[in-house]
Amino acid sequence: MTNIYHSKPAQWAVYLVFFAALGVIPLFIDDAFLLNQFSTYGVYGMLALSLALCWGFGGILNLGQGIAFGLAAYGMAMTMQMQAQDPENDPIPPFMLNNSLDHLPWFWEPFWNTGLGIFLALLVPTLFYIAFGSIMFRSRVSGPFFAIMTLAMLSAWYTLILDIQPYTNGVNGITPPRALQVFGFEIDPYSSTSYWVVYTALLLCTIGAKLLTQSKFGLIVQAVRCDAERVRFLGYNVAFYETVIYTLSGLIASIAGCLWVVLVQYVSPAQMDVTFSISMVIWAGIGGRLSLIGAIIGAFLIQGAQSYLGDEFLNTWLLILGGFFIIVVRFLPKGLAGLLEIVLGRIGGSPRSKSPDAVADGKLVAAGE
Amino acid sequence: MGMLEIRDLNKSYDAIHIINGFSLDVTELTLCCLVGPNGAGKTTTMDLITGRQKPTSGQVLFYGDDITGLDEHEIARRGIGRKFQVPAVLKDLSVRENFQVAYSRTTNPLRNIFKFHSKGFERKLDEIGTLAGLNERLDTQAGLLSHGETQWLEIGMVLMQDPRLLLMDEPVAGMTEIEIEKTARIFNQLKKTHTLIVVEHDMGFVREIADVVTVMHMGSLLAQGTISQVESNPRVKEVYLGNEVH
Amino acid sequence: MWASFDPSSFANALILGISIGSIWLIAALGLTIIYGTAGVINMAHGEFIMLGAYSSYMLQSYFGLPFLLCIPASFVIVGVIGLILERGLIRYLYKRPLDTLLATWGVSLVLMQGVRLIFGSDPKYIAVPEVFQSNIQLGFFNLSTFRVVVFFITIALVVGIWALFYRSRFGMQVRAVMQNNEMATSFGINSDRVYMMTFAIGAGLAGVAGSLFGVLNIVLPTMGSAYVVQAFLVVVVGGGSLVGSVAAGGGMGELQSIFAYFTNDTFARFLLFVMIVVFLRFRPQGLFAPAKARR
Repeated sequence: MTNIYHSKPAQWAVYLVFFAALGVIPLFIDDAFLLNQFSTYGVYGMLALSLALCWGFGGILNLGQGIAFGLAAYGMAMTMQMQAQDPENDPIPPFMLNNSLDHLPWFWEPFWNTGLGIFLALLVPTLFYIAFGSIMFRSRVSGPFFAIMTLAMLSAWYTLILDIQPYTNGVNGITPPRALQVFGFEIDPYSSTSYWVVYTALLLCTIGAKLLTQSKFGLIVQAVRCDAERVRFLGYNVAFYETVIYTLSGLIASIAGCLWVVLVQYVSPAQMDVTFSISMVIWAGIGGRLSLIGAIIGAFLIQGAQSYLGDEFLNTWLLILGGFFIIVVRFLPKGLAGLLEIVLGRIGGSPRSKSPDAVADGKLVAAGE
Repeated sequence: MGMLEIRDLNKSYDAIHIINGFSLDVTELTLCCLVGPNGAGKTTTMDLITGRQKPTSGQVLFYGDDITGLDEHEIARRGIGRKFQVPAVLKDLSVRENFQVAYSRTTNPLRNIFKFHSKGFERKLDEIGTLAGLNERLDTQAGLLSHGETQWLEIGMVLMQDPRLLLMDEPVAGMTEIEIEKTARIFNQLKKTHTLIVVEHDMGFVREIADVVTVMHMGSLLAQGTISQVESNPRVKEVYLGNEVH
Repeated sequence: MWASFDPSSFANALILGISIGSIWLIAALGLTIIYGTAGVINMAHGEFIMLGAYSSYMLQSYFGLPFLLCIPASFVIVGVIGLILERGLIRYLYKRPLDTLLATWGVSLVLMQGVRLIFGSDPKYIAVPEVFQSNIQLGFFNLSTFRVVVFFITIALVVGIWALFYRSRFGMQVRAVMQNNEMATSFGINSDRVYMMTFAIGAGLAGVAGSLFGVLNIVLPTMGSAYVVQAFLVVVVGGGSLVGSVAAGGGMGELQSIFAYFTNDTFARFLLFVMIVVFLRFRPQGLFAPAKARR
């Protein structure tokens, strides 16, 4: 008998139930603020999903996913800021005037156009991921070293954005005064419209990611995680595969970054802070890095608990979260989804459940080692 | 004219010469055994052919094309498959998935994103699964296979690639007598359709399969010929067979 | 933004670069030996530095210990904490480098929040003897005395580590374990103990760095994260060996200072990081990498 956890129809059924459940939420919630908060969880879910794809399936630990998220968020904030400006009478955003700029910087010009602005918000991080990824992967920087380099890159971007205050408003960030307008419609962040926008994005990204993992590409990416050298000798350009999965995961994070600004109408260097990027890793790690939906649920649970507990317990909560994360890494590398896999395996009596399930970095690790 | 020609290959780290003016011609549809004491440079030679290491000087020609210094995947795509000394299989994946990955007809990642079934795979899987004796084990996780099965899986994966030249680094290391016999049968069948270079210590196995035996010593060619020619060569006796009698 | 070129202030920038380099190097020393020996990526290293600063602060303000004694005391305290961490967690993860990285990141979160709960989020200060508070001025040369002290302590530590790892029995054991763990074990070397001691010493060195950084800057629960990325870059660029870290720390400090001379501190940091990425394209193994294990 096989473990139902590995059955593809069962997996798709879970997806169906999950998204159906998310789909009925707006019917039961009248509180606009709560709905807005739920929408932001959806954005966090997308971030966790992007990490599950890159780190869980590809074995590429990215501690700098905030680069894509943050760059896209800035692009979106710039677009929304320019929607509030008037080309004739009031062409320069107020914070620039406060920083004594007398003309609009050249790289702000394209953001007059909403379509072009959103396109750039997605394009710039994607190009950066392609460039950085191909440099790193072609030099065969992998594993922990890649993780550290992403961290260094994140911190470089953080510093840069902080530094060029006249153009980015430094630590205060950009606060577009109006909600996003597309094709004459306003996407009010406190409405069910914005919830549905996030819902659709999460749904499409999840289905896309799931199909990706089931394709030949997904299989090869998993093979690279197990043993990059073996895959190379089978004729695959490993660096190319790594760059593609890293970039696709970055693209999902970029979409999340855009949506986040639509929801909160705000962006600051804090979105490119190391802590935030590592939170994403924690969501995916606790939920289950090898399960897309597990990672999404991980983000929901942790962020949900965090806002439920409120600011006064934040320090204690982070302490507990850190401790819990250590326990998961040590004893449950596949996270909560891995726990479910073991439980279902026991029920089904499959031989896999007795196997050392603690799979990490392509090596089998005996459970009680 | 050989299918693979190695011309005056050198590899050194700082002042240490690992490979010293090594040359070799491999004829199509033969099985060449590369033997020599530890540290003779056999695995390094494999690395230099397959692009895992770049030679300091010298050339590797494959069907007359210079493949020296190409990347591993480019050399693999030209039809050179390699089995490692320490069996390298994809332990997290099932045996079937291992074979799927090895069936590398399309290597472009952007195309493989939209690929869910590979044409001709099932037929090839049946053929190679039978040859490697793994048809019953297709859904097993590769990390759970026995040592012998792991060796055959890797051999099977290399065959799945459909290479013209197969490089096998110690394929029977750690196998039982029965397993070795079975591997010898597989190899004798393979050399009718493929060209093989096999690095091996087990002289009994070499005697079973080799058409040509090449002896390496200190990074250079020491002797070459049939097994009996090589075994009667006094220099070979001195450096190699003298201290490792089978 | 672009300062006009002035030879004497440029020379001063070069000297400042040496000082920056020594700060980065001392932050990276513990990391270097932990990574170089056990291959462990210790993300809690920054928090070890922070613990060193808090140890010194605590010993000084609660027990009145003179500052110069706080430094070795911090070494011991943080070393013991490192020892406990290694025994309780790290030793189970030696074969899983990515997971070690993550688990130690969890540790860093716990340490940071734990310190915040105990000491609060407000900054603390470590007082130093008055001799260290002045500036040294010789012609164009101008540097705070304490930075000079840090520089000499760094040199002393590098020499000490070199002696320990290349001239002592313990060092021989460490290198034997690094080369071939199984072989070393069969010769009766207790590799478990070697890893444990190395980790403790590495943590202790972070403690020393922390007590110095607590003087250079203010003491905060979050201060560690400011140093950890730089320290890692020193190790990555250096390739994980002691000589590599010295070269990388010195070189990066110098470049940072030169770039900062022409632009400003933050933009210099950005430039430096980009340069490191490009550098790794051509030398992914770093400046002085130990020989890689073969398959």
